Amino acid sequence: MSLTARRSPTPRGLRRRRLRGQIGWTLSGLSVLLVAFPLIDLLAVIVEKGLRALSPTLFTQVTNGISGGLWNAIQGTLLLVVGALVFAVPIGVLSGIYVAEWPRSRFAGLVRFVADVMTGIPSVVLGYFGYITMVIGLGWQFSLLAGAITLALMVIPYIARTTELAMLNIGHDIREAGSALGLSQGTVIFRVVLPGALSGVLSGIMLAVAISVGETAPLIYTAGWSNYAWNGSLVHAPVGYLTYVIWTFINQPFASAHALAFAAALLVIALVLLVNAITRTLLQRR
Amino acid sequence: MLAPSAPAIPADGIQLDRGALSAQHLQVFYGRKQALFDVDIDLTPHTVNALIGPSGCGKTTFLRAINRLHDLTPEARVEGKILLDGIDIYDRSIDPVDLRRRVGMVFQKPNPFPTMSVVDNVTAGLRLTGVRHRGKLQEAAERALVQAALWDEVKDRLRQPALRLSGGQQQRLCIARALAVEPEVLLMDEPTSALDPQSTARIEDLLGSLKQQVTVIIVTHNMQQAARISDTTAFFLAGSLVELGPTDAIFTNPSDPRTEAYVTGRFG
Repeated sequence: MSLTARRSPTPRGLRRRRLRGQIGWTLSGLSVLLVAFPLIDLLAVIVEKGLRALSPTLFTQVTNGISGGLWNAIQGTLLLVVGALVFAVPIGVLSGIYVAEWPRSRFAGLVRFVADVMTGIPSVVLGYFGYITMVIGLGWQFSLLAGAITLALMVIPYIARTTELAMLNIGHDIREAGSALGLSQGTVIFRVVLPGALSGVLSGIMLAVAISVGETAPLIYTAGWSNYAWNGSLVHAPVGYLTYVIWTFINQPFASAHALAFAAALLVIALVLLVNAITRTLLQRR
Repeated sequence: MLAPSAPAIPADGIQLDRGALSAQHLQVFYGRKQALFDVDIDLTPHTVNALIGPSGCGKTTFLRAINRLHDLTPEARVEGKILLDGIDIYDRSIDPVDLRRRVGMVFQKPNPFPTMSVVDNVTAGLRLTGVRHRGKLQEAAERALVQAALWDEVKDRLRQPALRLSGGQQQRLCIARALAVEPEVLLMDEPTSALDPQSTARIEDLLGSLKQQVTVIIVTHNMQQAARISDTTAFFLAGSLVELGPTDAIFTNPSDPRTEAYVTGRFG
């Protein structure tokens, strides 16, 4: 190669580099479209068909066979989510704190291992576990409690992990400052570190809510399905939920069933979006 | 000025002139590595004591033995005695949490509690140990902030987040936080090394008045600082206490040749 060529790229070399850059950008853009198009298409169909099916009676009437409203499913989904949080938040947050504060203990290693395994279990297997242990084993039958606990089992690892990360985000110097001030270890963890980690903990809980709202498989075998609004009992009574409507009704050969399925899908997406929006505001306030 | 008040935590053996500290055969190990060798030291109450020496010589290790902060490090082990007002703080009857209320600490980097306001930071040591009385907390906050020479700058923004203060103000806030629980001893681990010269000067000015309340033990890398602020100076080298004496003597007429070499800048 000549000296001049090395000092400044020839017009030809420059052109080749520009061309390669353009090819790269084009491929990236195409990839984005490839990923985004199905999602946008999906959302468009659900929003269009869901909006058409939306009516005030959806929120007031219960499902009647393959028609009627969705009040029983909306109520059931909310109850199942709240029920799951009742179990999952204390257990998930406390185990996350434990693993963060005593990372080298043997129990923390066990917790981490179990959490990793549990996130890898297909949710339908968890549903079957709930079926065998609670629905059959404890004799609860299809019920709110069995469904809520199964959902809780599913989301506990997420809450624990986000809590752990949020706690670890608070520096060692802050913990030392607390200890050096004559605060007990418990006070340092719960009154100094946890408040600082709160937004992270909350975002983990919101993630759990979003997962719970969108799950079907763990509930099929545990919550069952009901056309009726909640009768107030925790066991021996099946409950409806929105994802069941999507999953089952879309397979029925009736327009009214399809309309309900799309309305339910729209509601689920709206709920998840709402939860995500809340999480983002919580994180931004930090 | 404020009258010296009763100790926050009544404990046996606290005399009127509290804050007398001495170490006897003190050794500290990190795992198999020994960091402090057979240190004997006697400090007079109400004095400012500087610990000097090159990096890794054991100054901070010694400091952290005094409030038993090593207890929180699994691999650290302490041998020997440290007597605070005549009582061994490593005795089994001593609760390290109680001890740390009598021995406050200020760290190298300002570390106010990030979620708390200015005033909540100052009163944290009281509030989080069960003091509820509003008036008492307010009084303690003002007294500690005055002692830390921060009151005039923050009195109008006590409710603001502590992290909005400047670095130098944050460090004085940490001093106020330590003083609010009325300790007998105040440990300072290079408290000005992260600060600008002006903030450093403010904290140095403060030390002279602080010793009326507490015995100050301050680690510093800055020998001019040690000479300016301290009554006595201890020189550490490779985990051993080489020399302890009046600051004047250490800097002008040290008895150990190693001390002389260090303070004249020939090594370290």
